[in-house]
Amino acid sequence: MNRRTVTALVVNDLRQLARNPRVLVFAVALPLVLWPLMWFLTSLTTERRQERIESRTYTYAVADEAASVAGAADARTWLERALAVVGDDGRADGEPTEGPAVRFERVEAPEDVAAALDEEQLHVHVAWTETGDEDAIDEDVDRETVGNAGAAAPRIVLSYRADLDASDSAEGFLRRALERTRTELRERRLAAAGFASAPDDLLPLERIETASEEQTSGLFLGRLLTAIIVMMMLAGGSIVATDALAGEKERGTLETLLTTAASRVEIVTAKNLSILAVAFATSVLNIVNIVVWMQLDLIAPPAGMKLVIPIGAGLLLLLLYAPAAVLLSSSLLLVSGRSKTYKEAQLLFAPVMLVAMAVAAIPVLPGVELRSAIVLLPIANLGVAAREILTGHYDWPLLAAAWAVTGGAAALLARASLRTLSAEKLITASELDASDLAGGPALFPRRVARWFAALWALLLVWQLNIGGNIDSRLLISINMAIFGAAAWLMIARYRLPPREALSLRAPPTGAWLGVLLGAPAGLLLADGVVRLASLAMPIPEAWIEAMAENMGAGLPLWQMLIFFSLMPALFEEVAFRGVLLHGLKHRLTTLQLVLVAGIAFGFFHVDLFRIPPTSLLGIFLVVTVIRSGSIYPAMAWHALHNALALGSARLEQIRLPEQPAWWHYVLALAATLLALRLMSRVDQPGTRRRGG
Amino acid sequence: MSTVQVEVQDLSKNFFDQSRGEVRAVQEVNFECRSSEIFGLLGANGAGKTTTLRMISTVLQPTAGTARVLGHDVVSDPVEVRRNLGFYSASTALYPRLTARETLTLFARVNKYPAERTRSRVEEMIERFGLGDYAGARIEKLSSGMKQKVSIARTVVHDPPVLIFDEPTVGLDVLNALDLQKAIQELREDGKAILFSTHIMSEAERLCDRIAIIDKGRIRACDDLEGLRAATSQHYLEDIFVHYVTGNDTTG
Repeated sequence: MNRRTVTALVVNDLRQLARNPRVLVFAVALPLVLWPLMWFLTSLTTERRQERIESRTYTYAVADEAASVAGAADARTWLERALAVVGDDGRADGEPTEGPAVRFERVEAPEDVAAALDEEQLHVHVAWTETGDEDAIDEDVDRETVGNAGAAAPRIVLSYRADLDASDSAEGFLRRALERTRTELRERRLAAAGFASAPDDLLPLERIETASEEQTSGLFLGRLLTAIIVMMMLAGGSIVATDALAGEKERGTLETLLTTAASRVEIVTAKNLSILAVAFATSVLNIVNIVVWMQLDLIAPPAGMKLVIPIGAGLLLLLLYAPAAVLLSSSLLLVSGRSKTYKEAQLLFAPVMLVAMAVAAIPVLPGVELRSAIVLLPIANLGVAAREILTGHYDWPLLAAAWAVTGGAAALLARASLRTLSAEKLITASELDASDLAGGPALFPRRVARWFAALWALLLVWQLNIGGNIDSRLLISINMAIFGAAAWLMIARYRLPPREALSLRAPPTGAWLGVLLGAPAGLLLADGVVRLASLAMPIPEAWIEAMAENMGAGLPLWQMLIFFSLMPALFEEVAFRGVLLHGLKHRLTTLQLVLVAGIAFGFFHVDLFRIPPTSLLGIFLVVTVIRSGSIYPAMAWHALHNALALGSARLEQIRLPEQPAWWHYVLALAATLLALRLMSRVDQPGTRRRGG
Repeated sequence: MSTVQVEVQDLSKNFFDQSRGEVRAVQEVNFECRSSEIFGLLGANGAGKTTTLRMISTVLQPTAGTARVLGHDVVSDPVEVRRNLGFYSASTALYPRLTARETLTLFARVNKYPAERTRSRVEEMIERFGLGDYAGARIEKLSSGMKQKVSIARTVVHDPPVLIFDEPTVGLDVLNALDLQKAIQELREDGKAILFSTHIMSEAERLCDRIAIIDKGRIRACDDLEGLRAATSQHYLEDIFVHYVTGNDTTG
């Protein structure tokens, strides 16, 4: 890549942008003024509203028939005391107001309360009803103490209109005053009845908050930081991205650019850098802008907020957000490349932004930890990681995993945007290529990744939200039904020949021996991988217990075998070693095919701690199908592997050694390699450049 | 002595369209273009001229066949092909908010022209194409004629040995078209190998050293004007074109 070329292209993009007054005004200057202005106006109107609420006179009426209710005097006392202090607790937190006291004025009780409230002749209507005979209060009770043990005042009923501002406020003031005086009256009654101590001294409760102010603020900031950064980056980046390819296409400058000596990689890199530069600059501008406004006391930070990020954490966050920034810029560039016009690009940015914002908002959800399947979800994983960093928790292996996952997704998207730039439909009227037109089997290799990505997203949402709450048998049945249905849909949609797509062929005889040898050896290796992975990611005890529970503890053996061995062996093999392998085999080399199809299988197990061993199993099964040319040995291996894993968990006789020696693994590796060698068809060459 | 700069062998391109199915836009096209030569591709709209030139400029990938520019293959070595190429067409626009000088500097840089000579080369182009008074003005403020001059200057600013002009006079008035033709002739004098596509007979007749008549993606004839006249017994290029495209003799 030529640095001079990239620099020239970036400078060109930025120069064009800087010379576009509309963009500068509407996309840069206006937000700089509008955001703080909106913030300022919101707080100003809130303040004004509060003042208005507190300074007005509210009207109330007491129902005429209230006087005849038993204990009415008690209720009246309660109301009078409440009216004497109303407004002192003008705010919900009980802090006394500094503004003018709230005034309540009694008016005649109307005949039609609802109509009077509706016409605002009355803001709140007070009535009281008897709570029961035993609640009757002695008329001779001391009005000052309202103390008559065992007796209760009538129930006070407030009627108001929640949809009318004044009525709603009046009810709020009066209710809070009544609640405060009720506590006071209760305490007096308790004292009069001989209760020895103040009620608050009984079963006292004290809270000690051990989190530092920085940690509390860190949690608050960490929940929102990713969403704020993503929003700012998208807002800033989309300014350039719209113009980057869609705008150039519309202007006719794209073909000019594509016929220069700049390579596609240089052009995509330059476009990405331009988007990133503008996104970064606008984000920094916005942040600085808000800080300046805060310094000018025109807007206030949230109460108790200590906006301090240590330098180390700041640098780590910067590093952490780098792949997210590339991911976002590549997404925008991809959308821009796929759009024919500037307007179309703007239209298509909306769903991209919605998805990105939804994912970036995940750290707001309570209970989401980085050490979970969320580490596999790009951007969301960095958001949760940022939240943990800001509260002082550094889970290094998981931070690295989150960074790698989002980085990988960013690389894939960057590659996709590069491909878009090489696509001929970018400058020709032709929308299709040969496989588009042919459809069916010719198109399937280009669509298979999309199908499995959608399937993965579906399973992720399903398992994270519903899966954990249902019977494990039902969970497996639904998962398998999803795999089976997806495989059937793909075969039907793309008219794939089932025998070819699913490798429904007789395997070489030696393959069965390979299965008998490979499945137990592979299980031991998978166990080794789990132990190795647990060095970086210690497996929590709770997870092991949950796994044992999920693996059908208490189920009869035959059910265990059906749900945990046979069903996965059938449906997962059809989906992964059948259609997935068939779709990918002409697009990847054999090594790529083994790794991609194998690890994809691992990722479908969603649970973080199951990904390494299931990826290894996936790799063995892919090799099995490639070498034997048949899906049947893979099904048998899968079934035997799962049965042995269950057996090891449930039966003493076949339990894996507690602490296997290193030579156990060496032997297992040798046995697995031998097993895979036995899969080879006699009439098939051992190695080929392309898979399948 | 002129040398072969562009070689095209059995070049084909198919497009795929939902309504028309597979469209064979270019079929087994063969020709070569030498230095100090203007090689014309003469054809009606949709004949395959632009598709052929876009394949040579590496914007489109051939379905079959090969094309080489100074020995560099358009598929395996596209960057080197483009480095030695200047592409001009009615659809290749300029950045409206750049000045003429900035435009030339940008294209010199992206075409990997030596950094130390970029400034002097840009000034040379400004002088050669008479852009001096307007070099600091933004493209969007220039007249069509001036824009066209900037376009030619940006096509040749990196001094490529091969130039492609794809229907360059479309949309230009007569005077601007003549100016452009003059500029192309001067570039031939500079030793450039020039591929020139047009559907205007007079233009081809005036400019081209050799002409390939292209129809429905195939080259029907390829020779200099005298050779075409001799082969068809027609004098006017228009009649020669009709002869090859329709197979009819238009003379009385």
